[in-house]
Amino acid sequence: MSEDNVVKVINLRKWFPIRRGFFQALLSRKELFVRAVDGISFDVRRREVFCLAGESGSGKTTTGRLVIRVIDPTSGQIFFKGKNITSLTRKDIKPLRKKMQMVFQDPYESLNPRRTVRDIIAEGLRIQNIVNGEKEVEENVTKILEDVKLVPPTEFLLRYPHELSGGQRQRVAVARTFILNPEFVVADEPISMLDVSIRAEILNLFLDLVEKLDVSILYITHDLATARHMCHRIAVMYLGKIMEIGTSEQIVYEHLHPYTKALISAVPVPDPKSRRTKLIVKGEIPSPINPPSGCRFHTRCPVAGESCHQKEPELVKIDNEHYVACHKAI
Amino acid sequence: MGLREYVAKRAVYSIALVLIVITINFAIFMVRSPVEMFASERRLRPEQIEELEIRFGLLEPLHIRYLKYLQNLLTFQFGYSYRTGESISEEVSSRLSNTLALCVTAEIVAVALGLLLGVVAAYERGKIADTFFSVFSVVTQGLPVFWIGMLLLFIFSYSLGWFPLGHSEPPEWAIHGRPDSYLVELAVRFWYLLLPALTLVIITVGGYVLLTRASMLEVLSEDYLVTLKAKGLSNVKILFKHALKNASLPLITQVAIAFAFTLSGALVTETIFSYPGLGMWIWTSIEEWDYPALQAIFYIVSICVIAGNFLVDMIYGAIDPRIRYG
Amino acid sequence: MSLLNVENLKTYYFTKRGPVKAVDDVSFQVEEGQAMGLAGESGCGKTTVALSIIKVLPSRGKIVGGKVSLKNLDITTIPEKQMKNVRWKRISLVFQGAMNALDPLYSLGDQIVEAILTHESKINKKEAMNRAEKLLQLVGIERNRLKSYPHELSGGMRQRGLIAMALACNPELLIADEPGTALDVIVQAQVLNIMEDLRRKLNLAVILITHDLSIIADTCDKVAIMYAGKVVEHASVSDLFEEPLHPYTQGLIQAFPNIKSRRTRMRSIPGSPPDLLDPPMGCRFHPRCPYAKSLCMEKEPSAQMAKREHSVACHLYHDT
Repeated sequence: MSEDNVVKVINLRKWFPIRRGFFQALLSRKELFVRAVDGISFDVRRREVFCLAGESGSGKTTTGRLVIRVIDPTSGQIFFKGKNITSLTRKDIKPLRKKMQMVFQDPYESLNPRRTVRDIIAEGLRIQNIVNGEKEVEENVTKILEDVKLVPPTEFLLRYPHELSGGQRQRVAVARTFILNPEFVVADEPISMLDVSIRAEILNLFLDLVEKLDVSILYITHDLATARHMCHRIAVMYLGKIMEIGTSEQIVYEHLHPYTKALISAVPVPDPKSRRTKLIVKGEIPSPINPPSGCRFHTRCPVAGESCHQKEPELVKIDNEHYVACHKAI
Repeated sequence: MGLREYVAKRAVYSIALVLIVITINFAIFMVRSPVEMFASERRLRPEQIEELEIRFGLLEPLHIRYLKYLQNLLTFQFGYSYRTGESISEEVSSRLSNTLALCVTAEIVAVALGLLLGVVAAYERGKIADTFFSVFSVVTQGLPVFWIGMLLLFIFSYSLGWFPLGHSEPPEWAIHGRPDSYLVELAVRFWYLLLPALTLVIITVGGYVLLTRASMLEVLSEDYLVTLKAKGLSNVKILFKHALKNASLPLITQVAIAFAFTLSGALVTETIFSYPGLGMWIWTSIEEWDYPALQAIFYIVSICVIAGNFLVDMIYGAIDPRIRYG
Repeated sequence: MSLLNVENLKTYYFTKRGPVKAVDDVSFQVEEGQAMGLAGESGCGKTTVALSIIKVLPSRGKIVGGKVSLKNLDITTIPEKQMKNVRWKRISLVFQGAMNALDPLYSLGDQIVEAILTHESKINKKEAMNRAEKLLQLVGIERNRLKSYPHELSGGMRQRGLIAMALACNPELLIADEPGTALDVIVQAQVLNIMEDLRRKLNLAVILITHDLSIIADTCDKVAIMYAGKVVEHASVSDLFEEPLHPYTQGLIQAFPNIKSRRTRMRSIPGSPPDLLDPPMGCRFHPRCPYAKSLCMEKEPSAQMAKREHSVACHLYHDT
């Protein structure tokens, strides 16, 4: 993979132990794990919007949290601009926090309702001790409000979250993230709670900021249609594994994995002339506690063969930028 | 986990709790030697003390004493009272039935009334009935037990003479025997029970009203209520078969917690009404340092609370399928 | 005669701060066996339309005007007792997603049986259970799931169970409010497929309420677009997507990313939907509309036929 990466992840794994009651622990010694993320590798390049797409339970949100070290991985390595940050202590991570940020899904819950827009946005500046004095805080906040198009900034500085619309709130959340000049931002379903008519403006805001502020974004979503327009490359996850990685064109038009195919054919299209093709896989995503042997998708796969039950397929390079983990595709 | 496993699990927890209670009881009453207590009041000579210690088995090793204690408590052998010399087990059974009659009556009335007023308050949200019941509940919850007890006693017994001034039965019964008709006996006992029970109802009902109201309001806004209305069910069916059943879940938990609270309220109430239950007994036993009686009371009260909780867990398990899989 | 005829329906919520005009003069028709999509953003009144049709509004909500008729039965004026026989038997509702629309304390089978027994007195419990079993098979759920409680079912199964329950009394019209919205895309597609198959098999009329235009494009015959309590455009699905007339519809369609199209920058509609306690004067969309003229701020546009079977409420298309 390319050397010009901001974040690189190698064989990352996160198994959450299942908490058991006193009695169950007495009855059985065997510990159970939710294998949320089970050995994935990818990189996010400079100025790239990289998408992790998948259904709920695929491990995409856990991956986002692992990468910015909010939770600790079970194994594997995480590099940030070439530096291994996998086992940094809490204290050593703190200076990295301003360079790696996160935007949350829910603009209603992620903003403290008792603080003004100004204080919410300035909080990070104050924690990181970046600015000297209130005047500089004010200048910084005003500038970022302009960047996220909450203009004129003076109108918004002293408002509280409840005085803003959903779209404006998410802009504040974006402003709070970008005021620290991060180099890498994880955006976890940042538009799924917003009304349809204002989703695009938040996505475009991200794209503008990527250009303007030189950041890379890990965009996490279940919505392949927006991912296709938003992202340079897409990684499709299923049960803690990456099934396919490619440019968004490769994933949409030249996908090779049966799961990617199923996922894309299930996306409804806002055009009555191209009604959804009826190829749809059966069943629902199995439990990540005891994932299927071999290829994890074999239980639902329409083309699964003998080898798929037994051997787990590796992610193999098919074309420039295009990798797929499927015995049948190669 | 199925229903059977759930019951077994709760039963094991309850038995473990009983053992813990017995152990704590054993430890508490080691603080001051009972013989020393007994002796200091009666000015006994050292050889008499030693004789007592041998007779009570206090010179045996600790683990033997503990096992004997365990065996006795599990078989409800509490020994004899220092104060009266009578068998404690017998006194426990008469006192316990009085206290249980009081607490269970009060609890049932409080829950029923709380449910009713809570449902009405939720249904009439923001209207006069709601405001009245809510204010009533907040106020009564804050009132001290002894004050309510004395107030009721003063008004209804002392001034109006409608109810007896105390006790659980007329004093004549001790001389002339109980009335022949069982019904008459029951009615008279109920007449004696009424004021102390009312006292307990007043202090506990408010909590139930507020809780029912809150959980009912929450349930009434749930999506499945729209489904039920759209299904064409009658309001009565929606309200009682579905809404109240869902709303009662937090209430059931509250009953378990409140039962212990009611028991402690009963201690004060019984003292005010000279009602011969566990509460009054605790009072006199503490005054007299009656060790065997106190141990028995602590143990019995704990068993009542544990049994009450077990019962509530069973009801909860029967109503809510989710708990069985927790 | 249309199966369902909604004429000038007005439903308001009476709050302490004043009446919220959630549905304000809404009209549309649904024919037998037809699938109509009712689309709009959150708060546009689309759910209130559903609740008004089946008359299960919350206590603060009142139908203050207009008429809803099912064939020649005027359901806005019939007494509650008669309405109970319309609910579920003629019109049933799959309400808002799979998560909380079932009572958590009763098994799926019990809840389906309850619906059957409420409306059919001649049937005993065992026969009702048998029918519930058949209904579950119809939506692709194994019969042993009859005894399962909602928390034991996946989101997709709950949604399918709700559809099975909605079909329990052979209704003529099914109102589905945001079916599959909380589900994953593959499971959502499974649910939509089942609904479409059953609709054709049973000649069922469906009102599909959703914020997702692409679902409507995929499954419906015609569509009404709602904005701030009004229907702004009403047309066949092919007409509407081919030539959207109302500026709001145009904006909404552009706001939807199409996975099959070229990679483009998506466009959004500036501003946000109005507060229905105090909606804007004139056309309610004018503060966000790129073509707004002075007339739009003063006079409310009425719905007019712009083409055959294609009505729009916008001054751009009126001569006046």
